[in-house]
Order: sequence, then structure tokens, then C-alpha cells
Amino acid sequence: MERKLILLLLFFVALTGKAQEKETFRLYTDRDIYISGETLLLKLFVPSTEKSGIVNVDLINHEGKIITGITKQIIDHQADGFIYLPDSLGSGCYLLRVATRTSTILTIKELYLSNRFAGLPESNSDLRPSGVLPLVQTADRSIQVDGIESKYKTRQMGKVMVHLPTELLNQIDGDLLVSVAEVNQEYTTSSFTLKAAPKTGQIIEAEGIILEGIVTDKRTALPFKDAIVNLSIPDSIPGFQYFITGDDGRFYFQIKSYYGKIPVVIQCYAMDKSQLLKIALTDPEGLKKVMPDFENKSFPSGLRKSIEKNIDAVTFRKVFNQQELTIQPIPVTKNTGYPFYGVPSKTVDPQLFIDLPDFSEISRELLPGVKFRTNNRIPTLQVFNLSQQNYFNDNPLFLIDGIPIRDLNLIRNMGSKDIDKIEVCQSERFYGDLRFPGVVAIYTSKADYTRLAESDDLIKLNLDVFQPQAILNSSSASSVSDPDLRPVLLWNPATKPQQAFSLEFQTSDIQGSFKLIIRGKTKDGSIFYKEQIFEVH
Amino acid sequence: MKYINMANRILTIYIVSLFSLLLTTSVLAQENMPKNWDTEKIRGARHLPYPSAAGFPYLNDRFASGEIEFLSGIKVGNIGLRYSSYRDEIIYYNTAVNTQIEIDKISLKGFSYIDENGNKRIFRRQHYDGYSSNERFFELLSDGEISLLVYRKVALQICSSYTDDAGKLKNMSYQNDYTFYFYAKDKGYEQVKITKSSLLSKFDKTTQKAVKRLLRKDGVQISDETSFIHAWNLIKENGIKVTFKN
Repeated sequence: MERKLILLLLFFVALTGKAQEKETFRLYTDRDIYISGETLLLKLFVPSTEKSGIVNVDLINHEGKIITGITKQIIDHQADGFIYLPDSLGSGCYLLRVATRTSTILTIKELYLSNRFAGLPESNSDLRPSGVLPLVQTADRSIQVDGIESKYKTRQMGKVMVHLPTELLNQIDGDLLVSVAEVNQEYTTSSFTLKAAPKTGQIIEAEGIILEGIVTDKRTALPFKDAIVNLSIPDSIPGFQYFITGDDGRFYFQIKSYYGKIPVVIQCYAMDKSQLLKIALTDPEGLKKVMPDFENKSFPSGLRKSIEKNIDAVTFRKVFNQQELTIQPIPVTKNTGYPFYGVPSKTVDPQLFIDLPDFSEISRELLPGVKFRTNNRIPTLQVFNLSQQNYFNDNPLFLIDGIPIRDLNLIRNMGSKDIDKIEVCQSERFYGDLRFPGVVAIYTSKADYTRLAESDDLIKLNLDVFQPQAILNSSSASSVSDPDLRPVLLWNPATKPQQAFSLEFQTSDIQGSFKLIIRGKTKDGSIFYKEQIFEVH
Repeated sequence: MKYINMANRILTIYIVSLFSLLLTTSVLAQENMPKNWDTEKIRGARHLPYPSAAGFPYLNDRFASGEIEFLSGIKVGNIGLRYSSYRDEIIYYNTAVNTQIEIDKISLKGFSYIDENGNKRIFRRQHYDGYSSNERFFELLSDGEISLLVYRKVALQICSSYTDDAGKLKNMSYQNDYTFYFYAKDKGYEQVKITKSSLLSKFDKTTQKAVKRLLRKDGVQISDETSFIHAWNLIKENGIKVTFKN
């Protein structure tokens, strides 16, 4: 009876494990071994149960430190991207970690990176993850690959026809990953999962990146209620959000529709101007700090030679400035076409007028209805309310490059040469529950946050938002005489599944083993693949 | 028997803990979050009272519960709305700042509200390319390939002098100046009056006979806005199309 009991328990644990595996991210890269300075290509198959619309892929070292990372939008249960591997990285084993903000199961992919200048370490061994179970994927024999040869010459065209059986075709979820890349058969790496600490109270990043933090009273260090927290993104049409804190002093922002690296400023203030506040971002990263065990494992004999050859190839590509990827244009999002503070009633370009030395002069000469005065070294700014025909008693919303500024001393010495454009709203404006008694917005040629002084109630960030899409260049050599040293001959992470489709690739000048892989995910979450190895001489 | 009971108990605990784990995750994620924290915010300017005169500058007497739709397609519902026929503006009452705010017209695709009779009034912002072209809120009376729209304009016009409640002598009043249009995306606007003759004039001679027959058969008498809408819906259902003259 005891045995039955144990068997029953084991059965349920196994059942949960199997289901869990299907509900994990599956990460595939173009290769397993890289040289610093190269670009790693990756494709993610996302479980259909995933609620997050965003996924983070981080490159971490064996100590768990994040080297670099990307954020991708999940579209149709999949995502693909690339990571530049910095030349500053030392040789050794690195991990690619896939997780969303709320993930409790992290998908990890091991890879080996060799520094372009140092090569492999003197000792013939290095730390590698141990005691981990590789994620299962099934080789599908029903996929037919016609026309592939076992040997190719350098710079030879390869044409392959792929046939998918109808049964499989009906089961495929999303696109296929098709790649042809150099492979080292002696050294392969795998993906595995790790359990992270469960996160409580985390918001799912359904559409955008969530930034969260806390505002505290600077004197008591207690959470501060009713603080107004602003998030600004300097731009020609600046981004702006606000959040009013509750009892817990916490604030949240969601950033969407931005690509690449963007400057972000988060500021807080209380209605009582004498109240001193402190603002800090909360790092959800802490909960993901879970790492596998590592043990020293020896290198296969052929690895050193193969890496030395690859280092030469990468150096050549760098010398000939051969670009691996072409970044695709950033999708243009339809915005409302006017700033959050409203359509300006007046726009002035000071550079079209006589050179004026400071803002007092500019306001006096060029901005009727804007009163900038300095009394006892305290500057004041007032805007004339057109509809009520009087000046607002309060200070207007004052912005430099889209960032709200409370210290008017910042503009005292700004002359015509420093300012590109001034926009003025001469009415009482509202944005959500915020009231602006007039608006004065100055746009400088810098369009960033460098004018802002560091302070406890302000956070300046250079935030990596969504990575734009990129496509692999099919030939990196600009002329026939240039060396073509591409290790990846084909990378199409968005191949539409069809009954039959053709693939074309051209071998480069690199000789050695290459692998064609067709990989996909079925609707039940299983991963299938078909691979074929060929030699290039 | 003892072991079977134990197995059942373990199984129950296992299933219960599995479900509770799933529930906890989703519940905790929604805790402590203010409503609409991440939605698009309403932008606008303070609404100032209009000149006091006889008549009414608004379409609805009081703020009615409604919904606005931003250009992005994001909708914000359950807010107090009032349409200003005089200025062609939609005004909402912001309860947090106790202020009437004129929502920026250019930020909206349209709005709707439930009037005092319980009817849903739908307005959409469209560019009017006729005389005095601009962006206008048109009320949608009948939707389709050819829509029936009305521009519910109220104008402050000179009238016979009168004494207002405060005993002041005045000669201006708010007067309805509604204009009805047939609208098709590819053909534009075709102005129509809410009379039978004006409706018939929007069809060629052969079709006019069919329209007359149809209206007679259904006993439709066009006397006001409601009967005009009814007549048009009948014509539309029978696949008869308006001839756009522009």
C-alpha cells in the first residue's frame, strides 16, 4: 500500500513537471559558441498560457550578474531578437535567461563565449552548469528535407525544399525557426529551467514595461501618501504620465510604443511644497537571482582550434566593417499628434529674432502674455489667461524638453541661442486630474535631461525599451574579392508554416560543419525539430 | 483503509494547494492598484459659462453618464458628459478636481451617452468639408454604408427683445440650427431637410416612385426627426441608395 501511495505521488509530480515544461519559454540561439564582438540571434517560443506581453532576455555570467539584455514584445506566442556580445567579456560559460516580470520558472540557455583578444583560457577546462535537466524537444522524422547535400563548396548556393505533413501542419502554433549555421559537434549546450521565488503583488506587463517604485518622506523614511509622481520622456512630442501614491507610497508606470534606448525622468512632489520626499525604483530583479550549480568541465580537444579560427573570422569581419544585421525601421505608432499639455496657443522660435541674452529678455520681447520676473533673486513665471483676461495667480506648468521643472533658476540664463522653440498655452489646462494654470514649454537643441540637477526626488534613467526587429544580411561581403566569413548562413525566425516551402542559402568562406534546423512549436506546447548536418570545404 | 484515506487526503491537499497557488498569483497582481492608472488621460481646458440668454446652449440639461473614445481606440466610460451645441464641444465633469472640462476635440474619435429618456446618443467626430469646413461632432442617427447624421448646432442669434429673470433687457437667444446629412465615406455629405419632399429629392425619378410606394405601404408620415429616421431606415433596409449630388 505504501508503494502505491508513493507511486501515486510520483505520478502527480511527473504530471505537473510535464505540464510545467510545456508552459515554459523555449529559447533557441543561432549557435552555442560565440566570439566577443559577435551578435547572438535568438528565437523564443512562448507558452500560450503566458499573460505577459513582454519578455526579457538577459545575458548573465556564472555569478548571476547581468551583462546585457533585451526586452521584446511577444506577438503570436513568439519573439525573436539579437544581443550584441561586448568585446569586454572574458572567455567562459555564460547563461541566457528568459523571464517575464512575473515568471516563477526561468528558462536558461547555456552558451560559451571566447574573448576575441584572449582566446580560450590556458587551462583546458571551465565552469559549466551541472545537475540540470535539459528541456525536451522531439526530432520529427515526418518533416522531409529535399535537395540538401552532404558537402558544399565555399560560396555555393544551396536550395532546399521542405515538406511538412498535413497532420503536423495543423498542429503548428506560430512561425517556424529556420536556420543554417556553423556548428561544433564536440561542444553543444542545452536549455533548462530554474524555479525562482514567487513574486507577490507584481503587475503583469501586458502591453508595456512596468516601472515601479516608492516615495518616502525624507525625514521619517515612511511611505508617503498623495505624492504626485511624474514620468517624462523628452521628445519632439514629449511622453508624460503621472501617478498619485496611495497609503503604501508606491507608484507604477507603463511604457509602451517606444523602441531602443530612451531618456526617462521620474520626479515626485507633494502638494505641500515644504515637504521633502525621496523616490526610489523597486528592482524586481532580486527575485530572479537563482542560479544553477557549476562544476569544472574539460574542453573537447577540437574546441581550441575551432575557436581560434572563429576569432580570425570575427576580426576580419570587423576590419572589413561587415554588418551582420540590418535593423528594421521602428514601427510608427499613431499618436494623437499634440503634446499632453495641449495645442499651444502660441509657438515662438527665438532664433528667428534678434539675439536675446536671457529668458527675462525673451519673455519681455517675444512672449506677450508670459511674465518672467526676478524679485530678490527669486524668479517667478506667470501666464496670461486669454479666456478670463487676467494673469493666473499660480505658476504655470513649466517644461524644458518635455520635463516639468520647478526650479525657474534653470532658465534665467537661457538665451535665444539655447532655445529651439517655445510653446505657450494661455488657458487653464487639464491632463487627467492634474491642473495646469497655463503652460510654458521650452525645447532646447539638446532634448535631454542633462540640465536637471541630481536630487532625492528625481530619477534619471537611460531606459532600454523594446528592441526593434532586425534581419540577417544574406551576404556580408561587399565585393567578390572581400572575404565572406559569415558563420550563420540563414536565420529566419518567422517562416510561415506551409505544406512545402523552399529555402535558399549561400555558403560563406568558412569551412567546417554546418547545421540546417527547422524548429517549431505545436499547439500543445511541445517543440519539434528537424536537423541536417553538412560540410563546407 | 488507513493508507487509502491518507492517499485521498494527500491528493486533496495537493489539488487544493495547486489551485490556491494559481489564485494567489492572480489576486495579488491586482492589489493596491488605482483604477485606470495606465489608461490614456483626458485632456482639455476649463469650461467657462456661456453668455446668459434665452434658450439652451447644451443638448442635454444635465451631465449624463457616457463614454468617450480616444483616437487610439481606448475608451473611457462611466463619466458625466454634456454636449455643448453652442460650441460643438463635449464637456465632462471631473469629480477629482470638481471642474467642468471641455475635452480636446482633436483627441477624440467620438463619444456617447444615455439621455434622460434612456436612449443612447452616439456622436462621432468627422471632418466637414462643406461651407465653413472644420472638425465637427455629428450625431449618428442611422449607421450604415450611407449614414444619417445631424450636426446639432445652436447659435446665439438676435431675437425680439425680452427681459430675463434678472430683469435685464436682452435681444439675443440660443436658437437651434440643426443640419441633417446623408454621409458616405467615399461620397461625402449630402444635406437633407427632415421633410418628405427633401428626402425624395435625394433619389432619381424612378427610385422616387419606389420610395413613395414603400413609405405609403408602411404608412410612414414624415413629420419630425423620429419619423424621418424611421423612413430612412425603411428605405435603407430595402437597398435603395441616395444619389449624392456633390
